[in-house]
Amino acid sequence: MKNNKRSSGFMSLAGTFGALVILCVILSFASDKFLSYSNLMSILKQTPFNALLSAGMLFCLITAGIDLSVGANATFCACIIGVLVKSGMTNPVILILAGILTGTLVGLINGLLLTRLHLPHPFVSTLGMKNFLWGFALLITGAQMINGFPDGVLALGTVTVGGIPISFILVVVLYIMLHILLTRTALGRSIYCAGGNMEATRLSGINSANVLTFCYVLSGFMASLAGIVSIGRSGICNGANALQPYDTDAIAASVIGGASFMGGKGTMAGAMLGALIIATLRNGFTLLSIESAVQNMVLGLVIILAVLLDVIRENMEARARRIAAAQQVSED
Amino acid sequence: MKNSLVKRILVAAVTAAMVLSMAACGQKEESAGGDDASTEEGSTNESGGEISVDVILKTTASEYWGYVKAGAEAYGEENEGVKVEVKGATSETAYDEQANMIESDLNSGAYDAYVIAPLQADTVTTLISGQTAPIIAVDTKIEAPEVLSFVGTGNEDAAAMGGEKAVEVAKERGWKEIKAIAISGVQGDGTVNARLAGYQKGVEAAGGEFLADETQYADAVADKAVTCMEAIMQNHPEGIAIIACNNDDIAMGAARAAKDNEAYKDTIFVGFDGIQSACEAIIKGEETMSVAQEAYDMGYKAVEAAVKATQGEKLDEFIDSGCSVVDETNAQDRMDTLKSYLG
Repeated sequence: MKNNKRSSGFMSLAGTFGALVILCVILSFASDKFLSYSNLMSILKQTPFNALLSAGMLFCLITAGIDLSVGANATFCACIIGVLVKSGMTNPVILILAGILTGTLVGLINGLLLTRLHLPHPFVSTLGMKNFLWGFALLITGAQMINGFPDGVLALGTVTVGGIPISFILVVVLYIMLHILLTRTALGRSIYCAGGNMEATRLSGINSANVLTFCYVLSGFMASLAGIVSIGRSGICNGANALQPYDTDAIAASVIGGASFMGGKGTMAGAMLGALIIATLRNGFTLLSIESAVQNMVLGLVIILAVLLDVIRENMEARARRIAAAQQVSED
Repeated sequence: MKNSLVKRILVAAVTAAMVLSMAACGQKEESAGGDDASTEEGSTNESGGEISVDVILKTTASEYWGYVKAGAEAYGEENEGVKVEVKGATSETAYDEQANMIESDLNSGAYDAYVIAPLQADTVTTLISGQTAPIIAVDTKIEAPEVLSFVGTGNEDAAAMGGEKAVEVAKERGWKEIKAIAISGVQGDGTVNARLAGYQKGVEAAGGEFLADETQYADAVADKAVTCMEAIMQNHPEGIAIIACNNDDIAMGAARAAKDNEAYKDTIFVGFDGIQSACEAIIKGEETMSVAQEAYDMGYKAVEAAVKATQGEKLDEFIDSGCSVVDETNAQDRMDTLKSYLG
């Protein structure tokens, strides 16, 4: 049984990977610039921001929750760093720590709102948080764009090792660590359980409140890293960006990678593939100068298709199980 | 018991945070609108002779609109008996929000004149149909008989000026083939389209080539602009003379993406708005130039026109608030002026 589940998970991953490969093949025919080394490195530069947000989003989705504040949180952290820079702080270590602390704290508040103040679904509380952070980011920056960040802060979004951006290396390292956490530790199992059945999880002695809080804290932490990456890439921060649909991109990456709004599903490898697919799609769009109207349509279709395939796959598996069970009964 | 204590502490903390942040907002409003209060006092002394002007901007949450707001409020402060109220939508894509705002204010009957910067001009045309109080369009034109005057430069004309200037500088920098690509904002937005059309007109008028098919849309965000610029460099390893951007965020993001590319070291990155951080970037050589409309004057002149209209004066249909191109020669001056506006 367990073996069966694992192999179906593998099939689903292989399917997503196949989609990525097909996408690359199509794009390399559509544009002769696509397969160049420098363009592939561009994709690796364009992936980390969304990949970081997706990791946190995935954890929340596995628990049947959601964190709509990830994008606003990333922007807010960038603005906190920006305001400190503007007030004369130049020490990159303190600036980065301040950003990370801010994001993690926002995540903690999201978690506590859900688990201690018992706000119904995190959809509402994190949506509220998104708006709050958007306004707060504009307020502290005086609605001004800020530039002039020190090199130490910019490094995460700019430095490359042999052409490979360190932001992507960081993403890979973090994803491997989170993968181990999800699959090899008690906490990881509790997270999947919490998404399956809250009451059963609680009765089986798992402190589900703490498990849930952990997921939102992690999401806030990852968002703060994304904020720092975005500073490095663009060299600026702007509170108005908090309204960008970064959260939708993160949800899309997780869902393409096999996560479900019902919770209990999704893997780090899947989220990584999802983030790569979205980055590759966007890269292809810009290479071909496709207008954003069409971009939006294609991205929407990809998300719907990914979920549809998942549902079909699940139905087929359920049918196979029923047939197998029926056969067993008739054999007996 | 312990649990409820934790709960109580949390509730207290959240409430405190909210109250504090509200207090912070209050403080800011106070300091920004401190003179507002004094004009109000002044007007109560004058019984009934007060002119109340309602200024509805696209948003108040950006630096550019901050200057328009400062200019509008300055007129109110300098002229006794004029009360100016400035408001705006939460963002420049909150179309419905602004429409509701305009509708409620028109129906409230609390104002003698209106200054409107429309997010969607056509929507506003419908909303104001049949109004008798004077209405002035600011920044963006509204085609309607109810609108007495348009105060601004027009995004298209300003962008055209930037396009021409960019071609000029490209020639000075020794570009043989002067090609321009635009990194634009949100597709379908009126202002964005006007700037795009203006850039094309300006570049072509000055003898450059505008690659309209390769226009990228970056939703007015710097990190998307970086992605767009990376694609442009892939498609044009030989270098492009002019990158015409919808705002300064985009120009700075794009310039940063191309920083280490030898073929792009003489590229001209044209921004739009000429905000403080852009002036700073231009001084440091990170952005080449920025098209700047005189936002402060726009706000000031629009309220002035509105007040004149209530006094029965005839207005010009178009009041030019001026625009200029900020480059390394005047960036410092402009930055100093802008700082003085926001106090």
